Amino acid sequence: MEPERSEVLQGTLDLIVLKTLETMGPQHGYGIAVRIQQVSEDLLKLNQGTLYPALLRLEQHGWITSKWGVSENNRKAKFYSLTKRGRNQLAAEAASWERMAAVIARLLGAEGT
Amino acid sequence: MDWLRILLSRLKTLFRRGGLEENLDAEMRSHLEMLEGEYLRRGRSPEEARYAARRDFGGLEQAKEAFREQRGIPFLDNLVRDVRYGARLMRKSPGFAIVAVLTLAIGIAVNTVVFTAFDALALRSLPVKEPEQLARIFRATPGDRYGAFSYPDYLYYRDHSKDFSDLTMMAFGMDLTSSEVPASGQATLPRIAGALGFHMPQFLQGSAQPLGNAFISGNYFEMLGTQPLLGRLLRPDDDRAGAIPVVVLSGNFWRRQFHANSNVVGSVLHLNGIAFVIVGVTHVDYAGTADTVGDVWLPISAKIALGLPAQQLEDRAALAGWVGGRLKPGVSLQDAAAEFHVLASHLAADYPDTEAHAGATVVSGRTYAPPLDGEAWTIVVIVMAAVALLLLIACANVAGLLLARSAARLREIAVRVSLGASSARLLQQLLTESITIAVLAGALGLVLAGWMLRLVIYEISSSLPSYWGTIVLQISPDIRIFSYTFGIALIAGVAFGLTPALQSLKPDLNLALKDGGSLFGPRLRGSHLRDVLVAGQIAACVVLLISSALLLRGSQRALKTDPGFDIKGILFLHVAHPEDATELSARFPEVVRTLERHIGGLPGVQGVARASRPPIAGGQRWTTVSRASDDRSPESEKRPAPPEIGYSYVSGNYFDVLQIPLLRGRTFTPAEVEASAPVAIVSEATAHQLWPGEDAVGKRIMVGKSQPASHFIGEGQTAPVEREIVGVVRDVRSMDLRKPDDGYLYLPSSSAAPWNGLFLIRTAGEPTTLLSPLADTARNLHIETPTLAGALSSMVSFDPYFVISRIGGVLSTIVGSLGLLLGCMGIYGMVSYSVIQRTKEIGIRMALGAQSREVQALVLRNGLRPVAIGLAVGVAASLGVSQVLRAILFGLDPVDAFSFVGVSVLLVMVAVISGWLPARRATEVDPLIALRYE
Repeated sequence: MEPERSEVLQGTLDLIVLKTLETMGPQHGYGIAVRIQQVSEDLLKLNQGTLYPALLRLEQHGWITSKWGVSENNRKAKFYSLTKRGRNQLAAEAASWERMAAVIARLLGAEGT
Repeated sequence: MDWLRILLSRLKTLFRRGGLEENLDAEMRSHLEMLEGEYLRRGRSPEEARYAARRDFGGLEQAKEAFREQRGIPFLDNLVRDVRYGARLMRKSPGFAIVAVLTLAIGIAVNTVVFTAFDALALRSLPVKEPEQLARIFRATPGDRYGAFSYPDYLYYRDHSKDFSDLTMMAFGMDLTSSEVPASGQATLPRIAGALGFHMPQFLQGSAQPLGNAFISGNYFEMLGTQPLLGRLLRPDDDRAGAIPVVVLSGNFWRRQFHANSNVVGSVLHLNGIAFVIVGVTHVDYAGTADTVGDVWLPISAKIALGLPAQQLEDRAALAGWVGGRLKPGVSLQDAAAEFHVLASHLAADYPDTEAHAGATVVSGRTYAPPLDGEAWTIVVIVMAAVALLLLIACANVAGLLLARSAARLREIAVRVSLGASSARLLQQLLTESITIAVLAGALGLVLAGWMLRLVIYEISSSLPSYWGTIVLQISPDIRIFSYTFGIALIAGVAFGLTPALQSLKPDLNLALKDGGSLFGPRLRGSHLRDVLVAGQIAACVVLLISSALLLRGSQRALKTDPGFDIKGILFLHVAHPEDATELSARFPEVVRTLERHIGGLPGVQGVARASRPPIAGGQRWTTVSRASDDRSPESEKRPAPPEIGYSYVSGNYFDVLQIPLLRGRTFTPAEVEASAPVAIVSEATAHQLWPGEDAVGKRIMVGKSQPASHFIGEGQTAPVEREIVGVVRDVRSMDLRKPDDGYLYLPSSSAAPWNGLFLIRTAGEPTTLLSPLADTARNLHIETPTLAGALSSMVSFDPYFVISRIGGVLSTIVGSLGLLLGCMGIYGMVSYSVIQRTKEIGIRMALGAQSREVQALVLRNGLRPVAIGLAVGVAASLGVSQVLRAILFGLDPVDAFSFVGVSVLLVMVAVISGWLPARRATEVDPLIALRYE
């Protein structure tokens, strides 16, 4: 039985990408996709192509910037990196995510009390 | 603020298309290659690696598309792409494009013309200061809500009204001539108006030219905030008795007469012999609250200087002019109306003779539109409906063409749908095509409309006499007209594009992909819709054309109507009576007598009669007539007022010259005429009404008006007079060409009376040959007032019902013919496409031995079936419409066989030809090629 894969929602994709860039530093799209797959141990189902519109959106918001460079296998690739605004956004979103998680945990745990 | 950042980013990409696509492609490809590389490293074969990479990535094109949607403004991107695609398609089939654009442009142009006229009259504000505050006030009586006021009444309202900051009056005009204005030259005949049967009377060569004039109260220009072009404008000071006579010129007159000389202020202009000082000039084409601009502006008090008896301005029973006003800020029209209601009741209490039953109507004065009663609005509605119908026909036509085309594009659309195009996206693309056509048509339509309007206005203004004034309606296109035009173009585009688009989205995909939609498959629903469209167009055309035939034939009957007297051999001559107290006015009776004598002596003249009004539509006046014996009885007070009938003053030989049969008694004797004796002649209808079955000769009647009304010049207010009837004559149609007068009264006209000046001259030959000798005679007698002359038969075109009927007929013909043209183009198109679609079927039939004639007949039959249905529906509808038109058909049978049959035959012939031409091409198909045709 294949482990259940959850669909990735747009809002959480932003958070994941920002976090990835914070951890890994400047990275191209493929690299980000690989990292996501690694960390989630394949539990997150992601059509890799959908990263690109998301990356563009993040760039439009000003949370990341891009620069053309050369990848490991000598191909032209665009490298994305976090901006200062992006760092702030990441901190804010992570905080709100944890708050939400805590509330839900309490709700679910409250059954028992 | 993020949304702004995003928006800016999206907008930027609109301008940097090129390199972006390359970059996107490069980025995604490198990602894919890296994925492939990973799988290769894990030991998959190159093909497996490539497949796995693509699977992990997801759809490449979809990802690119999602990226593009995030990147640009997808709506705009798609729009631009659709427009380019649509343009390419149109270039490939230019015939279709031209036909579609032209068809719509005609429909749009006609609608724009009508709307522009309506806008100029009813929607645009007057070019004055704060027009929303302006109001027009009319005198309301039981018979007429929109009457004029007398001068004393105007003064009363002006002095007592609190709701208006200003009340002004524009008084009736006068006949004005100036010795400084040259006499008229050879008469020119207007072209199109003449061809349609409208004839204006012409000035006799050498006659003095009258000046268009407006008499206004002193506060008129102040109220409107008018600015002078030169000098100053009229002020309240100028409108006093005893003020120096001053005049303001209109810019138009200043240009024409004074050649735009800027030194004109201070010089003198003689009007009817009186010297007036020119104090200023208004701007060219400025007409204040009127819709035509005349030559001179004068204060009302100047009428006295020009010879009007002062008593006329003090007579509460003499109608003097039109009242307008400016409401104070914050006062509504209803408030003003209520105030006037109260004031009117005070007036009625103070002056019961003249003011009982009289009130006031207050309406907005913001636009040019005169208050229209129910009848006039119906005409407006009818005209707008007719042109809207034409546009509908045009849209139906183009929709049909598009339907035919979309049937041919079914396969293309099926492929797109299977590739994942959403219905919304396809709809957007198809609609963009039709809207592009519509916008092009709108632009062309605007140009056509401008051209049509200029032609019409030019024709109208060259037909009208210059002293009637120049029409100043603003017909230049402005933002409102642009929006209207493109608005209806867009609506049309969506209207005719939507149905074919929706049709295209529903095809059976399988069938479409395999067959390309030949008629071997199930009958396409599209063709039913096309048939309905064709039938609808034809029905509309039939209604329009039958109406036009009825109206034109009806108005032609008007010209041939026997009015009860001899109209063909009569020439009329009208010498304007000088209204002033000059020397000419004193000797006017002598001039009249001399003129009468001289005209009688001209070769070919068989008789000269005088009358106070022409015997056809024009100058009607009414009075009441009752039996003299009735009036003496004590109950006469309670009896309702007797009905009013027309009347005029005539010379004794009037009936002889006009050949009106004398049924009983005799005509006036010369002695009775000169003495204005208390005698009268009545028409047989009046005689029958007052004394049914008896001989009216010798009986006595009471003639008189107690309510203020229009009089003949110089009549003044008369108390009822008792007269003896000396003769009864046959009924004539002098008030309304459509039926004999309900009653008529003839009174003797002494040659000294001021309403003289109209002569009716019977000639042996063609009346117009007398014009030149008459001009000489008038010159020799030194007649200084404007003189009009013409054949009496030309005056028929003045009858208002004739005008409506004729103009209605012309409009209907134009619209109907355009509709027919469009309809035929539609039929041609339908049959053409049907042939193309059924090529396979036709090929098989012919291969099986069908004759070309049979095949043609088959195609034609199918193509013309909707025409037959449309014809039937149209004829049925026309039967109803013709009943509505009955009132202006001048006796033509509403179910006029000639019109109905004629139009039907014409339609069938034209439709058959339109269908036969492409049907012929069907038989030129080589069966072998047809069978292979995809």
